[in-house]
Amino acid sequence: MLTLLKKMKGTTKSPPAVNFFEIVWSWMGAFIGIAVVAYINYNLFDDTDMAMLIGSFGASAVLIYGAIRSPLAQPRNLLGGHIISALIGVTCYNLFHAEMWLASALAVATAIAAMHATKTLHPPGGATALIAVIGSAKIHNLGYFYAIMPVGAGAIIMLIVALLINNIPRNRKYPEFWF
Amino acid sequence: MEKKQPKDETQLFSPPDISDDDILEAMKEIGGYLDITPGTFKEVFLFAYNHAINRLTQSISAKDVMSKEVIAVKKETPLATTTEIMAKNAVSGVPVLEDDGIVVGVISEKDFLFQMGAQNTGSFMEIVSNCLSSPKCVAASLREQCAQDIMTTPAITVSEDTSVFEIAQIFGEKSINRVPVINHSGKLVGIVSRTDILQAVLYLNKKS
Repeated sequence: MLTLLKKMKGTTKSPPAVNFFEIVWSWMGAFIGIAVVAYINYNLFDDTDMAMLIGSFGASAVLIYGAIRSPLAQPRNLLGGHIISALIGVTCYNLFHAEMWLASALAVATAIAAMHATKTLHPPGGATALIAVIGSAKIHNLGYFYAIMPVGAGAIIMLIVALLINNIPRNRKYPEFWF
Repeated sequence: MEKKQPKDETQLFSPPDISDDDILEAMKEIGGYLDITPGTFKEVFLFAYNHAINRLTQSISAKDVMSKEVIAVKKETPLATTTEIMAKNAVSGVPVLEDDGIVVGVISEKDFLFQMGAQNTGSFMEIVSNCLSSPKCVAASLREQCAQDIMTTPAITVSEDTSVFEIAQIFGEKSINRVPVINHSGKLVGIVSRTDILQAVLYLNKKS
């Protein structure tokens, strides 16, 4: 019991704050990355059944524009994490949509396990799997195509923006590794 | 909870004592957002440090630093000849061999000192002191003897693959200054002295 409380106290300090420069470039990357994906979604796919923007891209933006050194933010994780999780999410919805609570929980938990097993852990992948289950009828109608578009295509667009924007400043570079 | 620590096999190289603040400073210098806490970084650092030390200390073994042309004597070599050989070559110890080259012992200045009355500390000054207090030559009894009579046996030996680091530990533990290097059949192939270990340290420095 005491060791449990001790563990809960924490053992170390918070990492330092980033400087203003880092804040500006994080903002810039995220703005452009989401702008491109959102423009396609709202202006080009407006009257279609297709989508390009899903909520989990907001989370990916935090990583690939705001924490670009993180292993979680590397291309392998970004693409692998989203696509694998999307496939798992769609599968869980197809099999268990009669019990939405079960489909939701299975989708997220299995997505995390699969990302770990494939060395593609990317936190937004959990949201991508969940959206496949709890998303709109439009998302459900996509079936497994969801993993290609919006998920795969959107992630690739955001990756391209990250490669361009994150490498402009002299002391920033992306990625740390590809695969 | 006891923090997990890397197993410390190499007491000689204790890792530098870095604090959370040192790590925070370093993270600030690197800039950008590093998603690792100072605590985790320190754990990684300590493990990595030990791996590096092991890699460096294992990377140099006896065969890299040993002298291959070894001055040695046979076990039947008279002590008079043995001392002459040691004096001529300015070495303070030699391996003692069987006819087929197998190392059976080591004979060093210390063995002579013991024979000449330095029974307690094996120091030269003890002999001088004994000499001054006794009329007869303390070395007289050595004239008739040969190497095997006074050598230290069995010899402490190492193989060609023994790491320099282990050899340094042997020197310290056994209080010896050189160790014959033998092959798998026990035959002499080289010798490593304390000086050779120093060379290895310089070599390591150059490499890193």
